[in-house]
Formats: sequence, structure tokens, C-alpha cells
Amino acid sequence: METLLWQVEQLAGLLAVSRSGQVRDWDPPTLDRALQWGRYFQHLHGRFRAHPRLRAALGQRLRRGQQGPPLGFGHLGRCPELLGLALLGNRALPPAACHRLLRSLLLPPSDQATPGPCSLSLLARRRAAAQLLLPPSPAQARPEELEQEQSLRTEAQLLLSRLQEDEEEEQGPAGVLEDLPRPRVYWVLAALLLEQAGDNAGREGASWAEHREGPRPAAAVLSWLLGDPGRLSVFCRLLPGSLLVALSARYPQLGTPYLHLLTSWGSRLRYDPLSGQWASSRCPSEDELSWEELRERFSCFMRGPAPLREAALASLKNLKIQDGDFEVCGLSVWTDLLLEMDAPL
Amino acid sequence: MAQHTAVPKLSFQYWLDKAVEWGQTTTLESQQDVCLQLPKLQEFLQQIYESLKHMNSTTALQRFPLIGQLLGRLCWNPFVVGYDESQKTLMWCLCYLYSNEPQNPVELKANSWILSLLCHLLSSSEWGANKVGTGTFISALGYTSADYYSKLVKNIVLSLVTELKGNQFNGLNVQGRVSDDRVNVVSLFCVPLITLPDVTPLLEALLTYHGGGSQEVLSSEFLEAVNETFLKKKIALSESAILSLWLRHLPSLEKATLHLFARLISTQTSSLEEVACIIKESLLPQAACHPPIFRIVDEIFKNALMETGGTPEVMTIIQVFTQCFIQAHQKDNKQHKFPLKAYFPHQQQHLVIALLKHPFDLPATLWSQHLKYITDMLKAIIEDKSIRSYTDLFESWFLFVHFGEWADIAVEQLLKSEDESSDTLLWLLAFYYNPHSDKEQRTQILVEARAVYDRLMMLFSCTTLSITDLQAAASTKTDKRQPCTKHLVRHLLISFLLFSSGGHKIAQEFISHVILASNTTNEVFGLLIRTAYRFNQLGIKNERIVKLVNELLQELRFMD
Repeated sequence: METLLWQVEQLAGLLAVSRSGQVRDWDPPTLDRALQWGRYFQHLHGRFRAHPRLRAALGQRLRRGQQGPPLGFGHLGRCPELLGLALLGNRALPPAACHRLLRSLLLPPSDQATPGPCSLSLLARRRAAAQLLLPPSPAQARPEELEQEQSLRTEAQLLLSRLQEDEEEEQGPAGVLEDLPRPRVYWVLAALLLEQAGDNAGREGASWAEHREGPRPAAAVLSWLLGDPGRLSVFCRLLPGSLLVALSARYPQLGTPYLHLLTSWGSRLRYDPLSGQWASSRCPSEDELSWEELRERFSCFMRGPAPLREAALASLKNLKIQDGDFEVCGLSVWTDLLLEMDAPL
Repeated sequence: MAQHTAVPKLSFQYWLDKAVEWGQTTTLESQQDVCLQLPKLQEFLQQIYESLKHMNSTTALQRFPLIGQLLGRLCWNPFVVGYDESQKTLMWCLCYLYSNEPQNPVELKANSWILSLLCHLLSSSEWGANKVGTGTFISALGYTSADYYSKLVKNIVLSLVTELKGNQFNGLNVQGRVSDDRVNVVSLFCVPLITLPDVTPLLEALLTYHGGGSQEVLSSEFLEAVNETFLKKKIALSESAILSLWLRHLPSLEKATLHLFARLISTQTSSLEEVACIIKESLLPQAACHPPIFRIVDEIFKNALMETGGTPEVMTIIQVFTQCFIQAHQKDNKQHKFPLKAYFPHQQQHLVIALLKHPFDLPATLWSQHLKYITDMLKAIIEDKSIRSYTDLFESWFLFVHFGEWADIAVEQLLKSEDESSDTLLWLLAFYYNPHSDKEQRTQILVEARAVYDRLMMLFSCTTLSITDLQAAASTKTDKRQPCTKHLVRHLLISFLLFSSGGHKIAQEFISHVILASNTTNEVFGLLIRTAYRFNQLGIKNERIVKLVNELLQELRFMD
């Protein structure tokens, strides 16, 4: 067992080396050994997948002393592809070793002693398929938007897989989420939350087990988001108002903090009598919201479902009263907002 | 092996020019051209690969100096990369061109170029430099581009399917309206991807898509390609999708029917159950429940029959197909089902209804009567001078051929039952084997047939017979006999062997000495498998006779 754990610990090093300049000293036998290790790890994955305790132990060992994105048991299963593609893209690999790599990775197994992964030709084909099928009609949204939408959705699904894998090893989402590149992770999280909510809505009559698997990652992700005010602030600042309102509609625990954030941002605005506009204070930090944006975000609430609309209105009214219940413009940002919202004062 | 290395230089230049052309223009015409050329290109790439396998990279570059240009351009064409196995061949070629000991800067550069091309195909390292950071994100999660693209394609397909289906239900929803042009383009772009399993839901959605207009909105390249792939069994589609395809694209239906026909003729089947199986697999009987499709398939069979001069094999195929069709029709539980007689609109309805009754729908005692009924109607049609034209005659005969099991029953009845309907039955058989209108000819055939029949009936109750007895009974005074009469006589003879006790004993001997000596094995084999099939359908378990049939079949097979 200890040998096994020691072996598994080598995975991180192997992957790191495959991406580094250290491969310049590799000759074909070394490369073969590396690929063999990859296949061995995959074999381990297959063997221990159905044994939760062993899996947890292996996963734990993988994460020991790790910097950067944490590894998981799933890495063992994907090792051949991870290794192969990393080596392929590594320009430091000398020609002889590279030659061997190409033969092992891509050629049909008939003349090889040990077959390489054959899923790579499928990868090339699917990539071409994505290129062919993605461009939308001119009537629709801009092509980049559609591509972005599909990309985010796919990344969200992969993130979900990873979170579910980690959950099986009793790892919370924080480990993975902390190390994902910002700000992209926020976009992906939003996509994930949307997709989860959509799935759940359709699964009302689903079995209890299915129902359970749905909300759990979403709830975990949300609590991670809400757990840190700075994080939440960046999340809400980055994403468009319409998206946040859509999310708040499905996840009430998001709606209230978001409203609070909006109000705190709004209260930093000062009226400039010379230009007749609300502007941010003289030393703007990254959290500063412009008047236009504040107005836009609140109007998203107005266009949202009734409970959110009511909550936003109530909030604005309260704040207006706190500020002195003025009816005239220019004195309280909340009065002005209410006027803009065309709501009864 | 030497042939493999002979990749003609002309082809190389041709494909390079094509690749340049495709890369330069992105018009619909050039895209259609790519789609049409994909199979041939794949073959060409295979040839190149076979040549490269036996060379090292230096030799390869000398032999095919332009190969770098060609592969480079093709790798950037998603139609080529997405097609069938082309991407594999392209990558293999690149592997073989990679030099493991580059001797000079040129080779080093070539190596580097090969690697970047492969990385491009597999979305490797350059991916991290993706403008939106997808690559970095996926890597941080611990996944590869393989995982990413696998899910991405599924998502795209799902969204396209939703788009297509949504259009059908919210016809009034202007926002969701998909334009015909878009559907056309999507269908064209699917042509390389037909054998990719992820794309099957999209293929189904396209095939069952009905736009507002009356013009065909799917590209013909798409429809043809789907049909070809289906016929080669490289893809499995739902029945409704295939039906939709055949209903909207006539050439596909014709190809499918001819393909089935060719397959049935060329495959060595050992039983009609096997034939029925092949026919059902083709989905044509099910599709034929749509009267327009039935008419077209029937027409094709009719032509085949005429072209082959009415050979028994073709007649059997038509008979089995009709039975499969009727089964499919009865299983089909749509509300607006057409009655069976509607599929034969130009025939006398009484005749159609009579023929539609399968022998197992009637008790055996009523068979003779039913046959007489059919014969009377046919006679009336044939001999009615007012409506008689060659076409009408042929049509009536063709109709009868669909239900050829009744001819087999007729022969059986002739030998087994004692009543005086032998004239009627012989007339029916003469008609079955020779529909030609000449009254004199028919009379002659009847006379001969009657002579043989009478002689056979005299031998029927004999318990011991010899081969010579039978041969004498079957022979003719004159050596000239019409082929159709020969068919009839043979049918009588073989049935005699099966149904008479004397015939039983010498059946095997007869087969091995007489039949195998002549060149009628196929015909006799056909008769026997028809008999076996009929026994199976009617549930005849008479062990002795079933056993005999199987033994005779064995013998014929063994000799073949």
C-alpha cells in the first residue's frame, strides 16, 4: 500500500516535468517509461474507482504538498491524455523522443507493442465539428457571443464534474475554485449555477437521488461565493445585471447580498451640482459603480420576477426614507433612482 | 506491394490545387465541392499513407516535395478534418514525415512545423493562448482538450436540435424562426460529420424538419450522403428519420431499393427466413406503408422482373417482400392507415382482396375453392377482349407474382386433392409461369402440362418407383419445350417427390443423379426453400416431409 501511495505521489511531478524544459534530456526509452507510467496510473484509476476509501486515500496523497491547482483521483484516469498532450506541446522535447511520442500517441496500435490512446483522432474530429457547427446565422447574436456561451456552458459542465469527483473524496469546492483563473471562474460559476437551476426545474419528478445530486454542488458553490465578501463583490461587479437577476430568481440566498452590495455601491455616489449628475467619489476604487450602471442594474430587478421586484422597491423606498424622504432630485440617490424606475413614490 | 508506392503525380497536383481553391474561397459552391470530393480525397490520403509507411522522412520529402503544402492546407480545412477517418490519415502522414534525427535546419524546421500542425489539430499547447482563456481554465481543472471538445460538440448539437425543433412548435414565434438558408447550410456542414456518433441527434432533427415552404430545404449533398452511409450500415438512424429521408428525396429511395435488390441477388441465402430478415433490416417494407413509397419500390421490382425475364429468384424476392410489407402494414398502428387494397389501385379490387388472403388465413379445405375463385377472376381479365391490352395482362400477372405462395399451394393441391379442379389449377400454373397472351401458346402449355400431370398422378399411389419411371413421366415426345413449361414441369416433379410416398423414397437419389447433373440446381433449391418457408409459416410439422425437405436442401447446398 505504501508503495502504491508513493507511486501516486509521483504523478504531480511527472505532469510538471512534462510541461517543463527538463524534458530536453529525455531519450526515447525515458519517454516510453513516462508513457508507461501514464498508462499505469490509468490502470490504477480503473482498479480503485469502485473503492471509496482507497480512492480517498489516493486522492489525499495526490494533493499532499501541492502548490497550484490541486490534483484529484480523476487525474489518474486522464493521465495518458494529460501527459501525451502536454508533451506534444512541449518544444523542449528532443526529436528522437518526440518521434517516439508521435508513434506511440497517434499511430494505430498494430505495429506497436503497447497501444497508445486512440481517442485523439476523435478529438481532432470533434474540434473540426465544433468549427463547422458553431457559426450561427447572421440574424442571431454576434458569433463570438454564441461561441462564448457554448464555451462557458462546457467549462461549467467540466467544473461540475470535477466538483462531483472531489465531493466523492469529501473535498469541498474551495480547493479547486481557489486556484482557477480569475475572472473567468466567475463567468463559469454563473453558467454552472444557471444550468443547475435549469436542470432542477425539469427534474421535479425525478428520483430523490437525482434530485440530491443536482443542488448539492450548486449549494456548495454558492456558499463558497457568499463566504467571502470580496469574492462576492467581484462576482457581482463583473457579471451583467440581467444575469445576476436571473440567478437571484433561482437562488434566493444570492438576491439579498446582491441588493446589499448595490446599495453600498450606490451610497458612495455623490451629486455633482455642476454637471447635474451623480458621480462616484473623487478616489475611485475598483468597486466604484457609475450612476448609469446602478440604474441599469436596478432596472434589471424591475424587469425580474415579482418577489425580486418587490424586494428591490422596498429596499429603495426604505433607503429613501432614511435619507430624509426627499421628493426632489439631486438630494438622495435613492429618490432619483425611484424616479428613474418610474415607480410610484 | 509495389502498386502502393505508385501514387500518381497527377493526382497530387490535382488535390493540391483543390486544397488551395478550397482554402481561398468560402462560397457555398466551394463548400459543396469539398463535400462531394471527401470520399475520393480520403482514398487518396490512404494511398499516400501506405507509401509513406515504407519510407523514412528524407525519402518521403524527396518523393513528395509538395506534401507539406498539401497536408498543411488540408489540416486547416474543417470539412476534411471532420470527415470519417481523414483526420487519422492526416495525422499518421504527419507522424511518418517527422524526422527523428534532423540533419539540417530544413528538417528541423519541418519537424517544428509538423508539431505545430499537430498541436493545432489537437488543440494542445497553443490552446492556453486562446483569446478567452478556455485552455488555461480546463487545464487548471485537470481536464484536457479531449474532454472539452467531447462535451462542447454535444452542447452545440443539443442547442441546434432545440433550435430546429423549437421552430416547429412555435411556428408563430418570430423570434425563434430558423431561416431556410440556415437549415440548408447546417445540413451541408453536417456532411463530413455523418459518421460521428455525437451528431446523430442533429441528423435526425434535420431529416424530420419541415420548413414552411414547399421546396426541399435540406441540401441534396446531405441527403445523398446520409443515404449512402445508411446503406453501408455505417450509421444507425431511427425508422422515422429514414422514412423522412426517403419521402423527401426520391433518388435515395431508388438507391436503397436497388441496393437491397443487389444484396438479395448476390447473397447466398440458405432460407427464405434469412431473405425476409435482410428485407426487414433494410426498413423498406416499413417505409412502403406509405403508398407513394410502395408504388416506387413496386415499380423498381417490376423493372427488375422485366429485365431479368421473369426468373424465379426475382419472383421469390417480390413474394417475400410483399409478405414483409403486409406484416409491417398490420403492425403499423397509425390511425390514418390505408387499407391494403389501396396499394394496388389499378387492379380489380376483388382480385386484390382475394390474393391478399394468405393461405394461413384459410383452412386448408378451402384452398382449392379459393384458388378456383382467383383463377376465374384472372381468366375473366385475360379473356375479356374489351379491356385486354398487353399492359393490363402484365399488370395482372405482376399482381399475382406478389402472392406467389398461392401458386405453390396450387401445385400442392393438384397432387394431393382428388377433385376435378385440376384444369383450373393447371391453367393458373400455366399463367404463373407464362403470362404471355398468345392463346395458342397457352393451350399448348396446358396440353403438355396436363400430360405430365396425368402420368404423374398414375404413379402417385405406387409405392416403389424408379428414377426412370419419373423421368419417363416428365419427358416429352418432342425435344423442344418452352422454358416456362420446363419450370412448370420441374415444379410438379419436385412436389411429386415430396408429397407422394413413392417419390419420398427416391427423392434423394433423384436429386443427386438427375438434378445435379442438369443445371437446374438453383431453381430446385429455390423451390425447396420456398416449400420450407411455407411449411414454417403454416406450422406444418409433418416430420417426415419437413425432414425430407431439409435433407434435400442439405444435399444441394453441399454440392454447390
